[in-house]
Amino acid sequence: MKHLPKHLQPRWRYLAVDIESWPDVEMGRDEFQRRLWYSAQNLLGDAGSADLDLSVIRFEFGGGDGSAIVRTRRGEVSRARAVIAAVDAVHDHAVGLRVTGVSGTIRACEEKYMGRGREDPEQRHVAFEGADQRATVRGSRVDVPVEEAFTGATILDCE
Amino acid sequence: MYEAVHARPDGQSTVARLALTASEYGFDGLVVRNHGDEPASYSPGEVADTYDIDIVAGVEIRVDDPSRASGFVSSHREHQRIVAVHGGNPEINRFAVEQPQVDVLAHPMIDDGDFNHVLAKEAARNAVRIEFNLAGVLRASGGTRVRRLRNLRKLREIVTEYDAPYVVSADPFSHLQLRAPRELSAVGEVIGFDAKQIERGLAEWGRLAERNRQRQSEAFVEPGVRRLDDE
Repeated sequence: MKHLPKHLQPRWRYLAVDIESWPDVEMGRDEFQRRLWYSAQNLLGDAGSADLDLSVIRFEFGGGDGSAIVRTRRGEVSRARAVIAAVDAVHDHAVGLRVTGVSGTIRACEEKYMGRGREDPEQRHVAFEGADQRATVRGSRVDVPVEEAFTGATILDCE
Repeated sequence: MYEAVHARPDGQSTVARLALTASEYGFDGLVVRNHGDEPASYSPGEVADTYDIDIVAGVEIRVDDPSRASGFVSSHREHQRIVAVHGGNPEINRFAVEQPQVDVLAHPMIDDGDFNHVLAKEAARNAVRIEFNLAGVLRASGGTRVRRLRNLRKLREIVTEYDAPYVVSADPFSHLQLRAPRELSAVGEVIGFDAKQIERGLAEWGRLAERNRQRQSEAFVEPGVRRLDDE
């Protein structure tokens, strides 16, 4: 179909989102997108969800750390923020989400907010609560497997 | 702005990890409010210095019987900067708002808890902060979430009407459940709060911590009166 005249084209805002989870969690763009849509629908209903018109433009995630760019309509940034905040888990794995910035173009969003290099996780033995543990270390973050679940710690907690 | 969290062993992350994340999220401080039977072990000064965030020692007293709660309140009052009571049943809610020793009544509406104008007036009189707990909207789903939202609305209407003091929290049990202040304001707006209310509620933890810091200092005699040492 023919392009809309410029003034009728929708105006977008791009939200840079930081994603964190446990180191063994895998998730792809599609699952993340689906959770966002569910969250929008549950929080705002079909009408609100359609208004926001959320979609995931960029997505990368691995080793418990990642980022995404989420697109919404201009004027809906606050509600989009709420929807993102209300995503508590993807595939039953808890996720921590935070909007690090908002831009008018994908490029500006990438340049301003996505520059932060991801730290590659490494496996290391640490002393946590008096026991020797094989943990995943990412910068100063340490995820220690304790009793079939992870415990979030930092290097401060490990001697 | 401050957030009040449950750290390991009550939650899934250590105080240090929560502090690191909260600091990145833009919080000025963190209140550690583990339930009384699951205290966290940490050194507040070291964590605060490393991650550049204020760390406030607190407790959330969880008992079913007000007569036992009373003993816990006085014993914790000496050591903890913020004393909260785990609300959620009518007797405990009643007990908490009648105690000037109590700083915060946490989530009064969960389980079979309820709130009314009598409690709101008492809370205002004794300066007991009522918590608006956003965990329900952030992490519950389906019918449970609808109920928690309905209760939150009722609570907000009563608290606002009687001008009772309040705090706001996402009640995180791990660093992954933390949400940044702006996100919490956005969520608040969707469910009928205004953004200012959420900000004020998050900041209130900090004000409370500062007030208690002064009260617990040597120079404090009673509100408005403090001892000035001759120098």
